[in-house]
Amino acid sequence: MNAPAPLRIAVLSFAHTHALSYVHALKQMPGVELIAADPDGSTAPDDAPRGAALAAELGVAYVETYDEAFAWKPDAVVIAAENSRHRGLVERAAAAGVHVLCEKPLATTVEDAIAMREACERAGVILMVAYPVRFSPVVRDAIAELRSGRLGRILGVTGINNGKLPQDRAWFTDPALAGGGALVDHVVHCADLLDELLGERAQSVRAVSNSILHAQQELAVETGGLVTIQYPSGVVATIDCSWSWPLSSATWGGVTLQVVAERGTVTVSPFAKGVAGHDAHGETWNPVGADLDALLLEEFVRALREKRQPQPDAGVGIRTVEIVKAAQASAARGGDVVVL
Amino acid sequence: MSTLKVGLIGAGGISRVHADAWRALGAQGYVTSLAGAEEIAEEYGFELVTDVDALIELVDIVDIVTPSSTHADFALRAIRRGRDVICEKPLAATAEAATEVTQAAADAGVRLFPAHVVRYMDEYAQIKAGIEAGRIGTLAVQRFSRAGSAPQTPWFFSERAGGGVIRDLMIHDIDQAVWFAGPVASVYAVQNPPTVDDRVPAPVTAHVVLTHRNGVISHLHASWVAPGMPFRTSVEAAGSEGRLRYDSAEDNALRTDAVVPEGDTDYLPPMSPEESPYYAEIADFVAALRDGREARVSPADGIQAVAVAEAAYASIAGGAPVDLPTTVSHSPVDAEEAAR
Repeated sequence: MNAPAPLRIAVLSFAHTHALSYVHALKQMPGVELIAADPDGSTAPDDAPRGAALAAELGVAYVETYDEAFAWKPDAVVIAAENSRHRGLVERAAAAGVHVLCEKPLATTVEDAIAMREACERAGVILMVAYPVRFSPVVRDAIAELRSGRLGRILGVTGINNGKLPQDRAWFTDPALAGGGALVDHVVHCADLLDELLGERAQSVRAVSNSILHAQQELAVETGGLVTIQYPSGVVATIDCSWSWPLSSATWGGVTLQVVAERGTVTVSPFAKGVAGHDAHGETWNPVGADLDALLLEEFVRALREKRQPQPDAGVGIRTVEIVKAAQASAARGGDVVVL
Repeated sequence: MSTLKVGLIGAGGISRVHADAWRALGAQGYVTSLAGAEEIAEEYGFELVTDVDALIELVDIVDIVTPSSTHADFALRAIRRGRDVICEKPLAATAEAATEVTQAAADAGVRLFPAHVVRYMDEYAQIKAGIEAGRIGTLAVQRFSRAGSAPQTPWFFSERAGGGVIRDLMIHDIDQAVWFAGPVASVYAVQNPPTVDDRVPAPVTAHVVLTHRNGVISHLHASWVAPGMPFRTSVEAAGSEGRLRYDSAEDNALRTDAVVPEGDTDYLPPMSPEESPYYAEIADFVAALRDGREARVSPADGIQAVAVAEAAYASIAGGAPVDLPTTVSHSPVDAEEAAR
């Protein structure tokens, strides 16, 4: 078999911290040429390293502007910009005939998400959404177990995506750039897993939220939320999306799905395996297990080479944004049920 | 103090754990029931009594451990004869009936103790104490989960008879949520599969989201899974400065890993009285009675739990959140009860 032709991939923006692990994963892959551009890094209102300095630290070739990145003629881009800036970059990539892996959530409005899918479909380019958790081997095992029917029909699910306040990048709590707070940041991972597990679109969404956690920071967004979803099959699910781990926690947080079926329950928590301990500064935690970002990137690159649309696609990207928007609308209306 | 005379009404599953506690406290026991009273009488050396009114005449304290729909009637009969009453949860089928019982006890000058045993489980009591001590700052988001085998007795599957997974099982966590976070402003509930024509399905799962008057939000999950399911509970309370949690699945205080003959069922060691929350509960009630002080759980708590459960069923029926009236937890008998 011939060595595959080199693939050119440009990482657009270091706004989302996942950009760092994407660069790391892509650098390990044979036959991938990589550059990065982070033009908005210098104007970010926080102290996190960005732009050329971060690129140098990561060991990736750097260009100053998106124009230069597209002039480099990439085969694909990995978009890790602020949520509300995804659409512009996806449309630009589509116009240039460039495949896209876009950070989650796909967009901050359903209209934007649909427009992005249409742009990519028209251009005949791949649009994949970066939901790495479904690539976790334990999540795959859990889904396979539940799909086997051994435990009977699924009745309900509790999804827990709690973590620290993402405070090293200020835009996460900027409603204009992030599209909201915890309801945006921490609903979509569980919503993606529910989409994959149940294979159906949500029927109704009901949410409540508050801003008690980190209240002293006077953030403009909610920091705690509970989102209840009903599916056409009758399955009920609630997602706790709160940023409820104190900043002193030994790790960032976690994702847990507790699935109740007729003859058993399955609890899967892909970041829960690790080595716990203590050092001079307190509790320590070293995660053990697969690098989910690397597994996501491997599937993206495989799909590029095989010229096929990978999962998770724009469809699930749109359906999960739908749930977020419905949750925001419900919470804003004091917990009214929003029918999709 | 002369030997305490206690009459158990009911001889079902919960009767034995109450009887264990009474025996450990050295009480003189009496029991009556439509079925099973002979076995309890023989096993515990209690005196068998033919009917409820005869039993009430013989004792100082009436302990009601019957199917839920009969609680209020038996309580009222005992109260009218001037007896102090311990009543298994729920205090009554409706908040109205629970309030009536509470008022009747206040009018008759007798004590009424709704048996919400989880308040006497140290893992929950520790979380309550941590919240009260300000260890996690301002409370923001809570999660409770409770799941196990579906019960086998038919009345559990009739909501009209006081059954149902919310009123019977989740009511423990409703009481905890209110104990930790205070009175409830609104309730949203979903259940799968739904109850049709008063037939509660099994297996069944229910999710309830509470918005407390202070803005705290709570998620409660309860499931009756197929018979044989191990019983699991978990709780997490998150506040502005930290979080407290307990998960019975992670409780390794006693674990046996062993090679056992096939077909052996789980061996559950008998609970020593010092470890039994039922013992702690009944001992607290007896001491509260003797010393004329408040118990850890009050009639008002019993009313509030029933009111929230009732609102949850109304929410399921209406497919929308239900607001709770602000009067529920400000029952006039409250202060009177506490003062005595």
